Amino acid sequence: MDTSFWILQLLNALQLSMLLFLLSVGLTVIFGLMHFVNLAHGALYAFGAYVAATIAASMGYWVGLFIAPLAVAVLGLVLYQFLIKSMRSSGPMAQVLVTFGLIFALLDITRIIWGDLALALDVPEILSGRIDFFGVEYPAYRYFVMFVGLTALVLLNLVLNKTQIGAMIRAGVDNDKMAACLGINVERLFFSVFCVGCALAGLAGAVAAPLLSVVPEMGLEILIPTLIVIVIGGLGSLKGAIAGSLIYGFVQTFGSVFAPQFASVVIYLLLAFILVTKPAGLFPAKGG
Amino acid sequence: MFYQTPLRKVIMLAYLLICSYVAMTADYFGVEILTELLILAIIALALDLVAGFGGMVSLCHGALSGLGAYVFATLCTKLGLGAGESILITCVVTGMISWLIGLICSKSHGIYFIMATLAFGQMAYSFVFESSYLGGDNGMAGIPRLDLTPISIDLFDSTHFALFSLFCLAVSYWFISKVLSSGLGRSMVGIMYSEKRSRALGQPVTRIKANIFGLSGIILGLAGALSAQHFMFISPSLLSWTHSGEVLVVVILGGLGTLIGPIIGATAFVVLKHEISNYTDHWHLIVGIILILVVMGGAKGIYGMLESYIEQRKTKAAGPERVLSEE
Amino acid sequence: MLEVNKLSKHFGALHVTRDVSMSVAKGERRVILGPNGAGKTTLFNQLVGEYAPDSGSIKINNEDVTTWSVAKRANFGLSRSYQQNTLFDGLTVAENLGLAASVKANKSTTLWRDSLTSPDVRALVKETAAQVDLTPHLNARVSDVAYGIRRQLEVGIALATQPRVLLMDEPTSGVGPEMIGAFHQLLKRLPEDLTIVIIEHDMGLAFDVADSMTVLNYGEVVFEGSPDEAGQSKLLQEIYLGTFEDA
Repeated sequence: MDTSFWILQLLNALQLSMLLFLLSVGLTVIFGLMHFVNLAHGALYAFGAYVAATIAASMGYWVGLFIAPLAVAVLGLVLYQFLIKSMRSSGPMAQVLVTFGLIFALLDITRIIWGDLALALDVPEILSGRIDFFGVEYPAYRYFVMFVGLTALVLLNLVLNKTQIGAMIRAGVDNDKMAACLGINVERLFFSVFCVGCALAGLAGAVAAPLLSVVPEMGLEILIPTLIVIVIGGLGSLKGAIAGSLIYGFVQTFGSVFAPQFASVVIYLLLAFILVTKPAGLFPAKGG
Repeated sequence: MFYQTPLRKVIMLAYLLICSYVAMTADYFGVEILTELLILAIIALALDLVAGFGGMVSLCHGALSGLGAYVFATLCTKLGLGAGESILITCVVTGMISWLIGLICSKSHGIYFIMATLAFGQMAYSFVFESSYLGGDNGMAGIPRLDLTPISIDLFDSTHFALFSLFCLAVSYWFISKVLSSGLGRSMVGIMYSEKRSRALGQPVTRIKANIFGLSGIILGLAGALSAQHFMFISPSLLSWTHSGEVLVVVILGGLGTLIGPIIGATAFVVLKHEISNYTDHWHLIVGIILILVVMGGAKGIYGMLESYIEQRKTKAAGPERVLSEE
Repeated sequence: MLEVNKLSKHFGALHVTRDVSMSVAKGERRVILGPNGAGKTTLFNQLVGEYAPDSGSIKINNEDVTTWSVAKRANFGLSRSYQQNTLFDGLTVAENLGLAASVKANKSTTLWRDSLTSPDVRALVKETAAQVDLTPHLNARVSDVAYGIRRQLEVGIALATQPRVLLMDEPTSGVGPEMIGAFHQLLKRLPEDLTIVIIEHDMGLAFDVADSMTVLNYGEVVFEGSPDEAGQSKLLQEIYLGTFEDA
């Protein structure tokens, strides 16, 4: 196992982490801010992939990449108004059940609109080459995935930490009742955060589409890793999302190399350990 | 608190009679559907014990019964034990694993508890999926059924197997109602309503939670052994989290915390699934919408609404001072 | 019976309990007074085991319980009623009392036998209900009864374990004046050998029931003595009423 093998694994791990980051950051802020656990987040990611693939077929990859997050944000808007808003104050079991029902419903709606066969989305021309990195030839598109993730991280960090709206969000995550007393329109804030979270899930789907097969079940497959990321990383914080994504990406990638049978078990053990000892995760927005 | 009310006794008896009749008169597919729903009902009962009466919403109950199926299959096909003792050992082993999970998760609450059970369920799923000894993705086949020929029952006959599953359901119901009517069961309900006060009274909260989870696991082992024998083939999909999710859906559809409700819910769910599948491929959509409507509408469930309605009529009729009959 | 020695606790820079020492004899009725924020409930939380003190010790019947868990102290005979109702909502009054009684009767973790229907638990429920005037409400659901009745139940649950030491945190909180008299009678009916420590704000009740008083202010004991002495104390007048600012 020479250096190039390790570099390859490193790049794979980073790419996986960045993809998960895009998915988890929306979900973690939604959970941290609204205390709402949206199991259907994976379905939104799948929807994004489907929209991107469909649009790209006629208008090209970049249009698809642009439209997908918007489409999913619109879907999020609809779901929020008709479902999420009234379930916000319900207990966790009710939220789990409703979003579980949503998963079922969205799964079939995806099947109805697009059928059961896998859709294909080709990598755009400009990113179809390979780039040399320390002697390893790695697909340019995968670098692009990392780039999108990093850009999102930088932008979100900027917004959350350097703008007023970011301060309001952080205040809401810390203490939503107090924030409301200070005059912050918490309801509108929740709504915007939810839609942005959905858009990010859609973006993740669009970005992942050329790499994976676009099938109705893709939402189900990605949900558990996303939940693991936000729980281990820490609920409600950007730092938690990136930490969790990196931990998952690296343990999964390198674990599969060393001990393929136990890579998954290790991840779940880590998850259980965190849940029992530090339920709010490693870097939660609110103290553990 | 759980009480074996006359209503529950009557409905349970009626249910057993109806199912017996169906088992003996329906065609092959009907009997197979019956067996499927009976096994699901047993798992749902086990979940209602911890969730409806203990406030511990578990998303690993499907996985635990799947694990039980694998334990049974391994004992029979790999270790050559007889089906009879395998069923017993499976119940004990699944009970012990469940007890351990209940113990570890006992300090978690709310969404964290749900996610912790999900984590353990997924752990079991991954373990089975990746294990070549257990057949991995291909599963395990050649699982035998219990030999009851000495008492003239041939479990390889569908009707007999369905009746046997019905018998196991009756035993499970009896077992769980006994647990709920015991000191341990009463204390568990108290913990559900106020863990703080229970602790302040001197209750060993952690031990009670773990014990109840373990007792639930014994029933899950029985269900697992049954499902392994039903298809005589098992695969990791038995442990998928969506399966565990479906068990929870079934309990809610029927009525959480009523014990009869989950049985009704399982029946309705499986029957609905097969009926809808006859007309359309999209039963997921319909079930999803029904689930959303049920939960948003107060989540009492089919049987739960019935009990609630009767309760309301009783309170109206009796006036302000209602005397509770000795139950 | 209850010995508290130099108990201290702080949350960050806030010292909620400063060197609190207290000695309550068996059967004594001790009332704890003090303005809001004086640390009375926090003191109770430490006595019961919900909070761990930073330093100091707690002894019950000469046994050092400072490191014991909440449940262990409860099983040893320490019982507490809360300022905010902490009942088993959704159950009946009888079931609430029954749960507490089942612990006392050692039936709370039995596997095959019912606790609530066993004769000794039933008897204990009846006895406790009589002690706290709950007999006519036994079969009512907690959610259906008036607040005052729920306060009675709050005390009833604590009593049903037949404790040695009973801590009552503002038992009459939120209760109307007519019921305070009833509470007074309730307190007078409690067993003579039961050691009771009560946090109270109602002065009439406090002065009537107390054998002795401890006054806390800003986390420390500022007075300990008989009700008569408390009534005369200038310091207490200052704490409660404030001082006259000379113009």
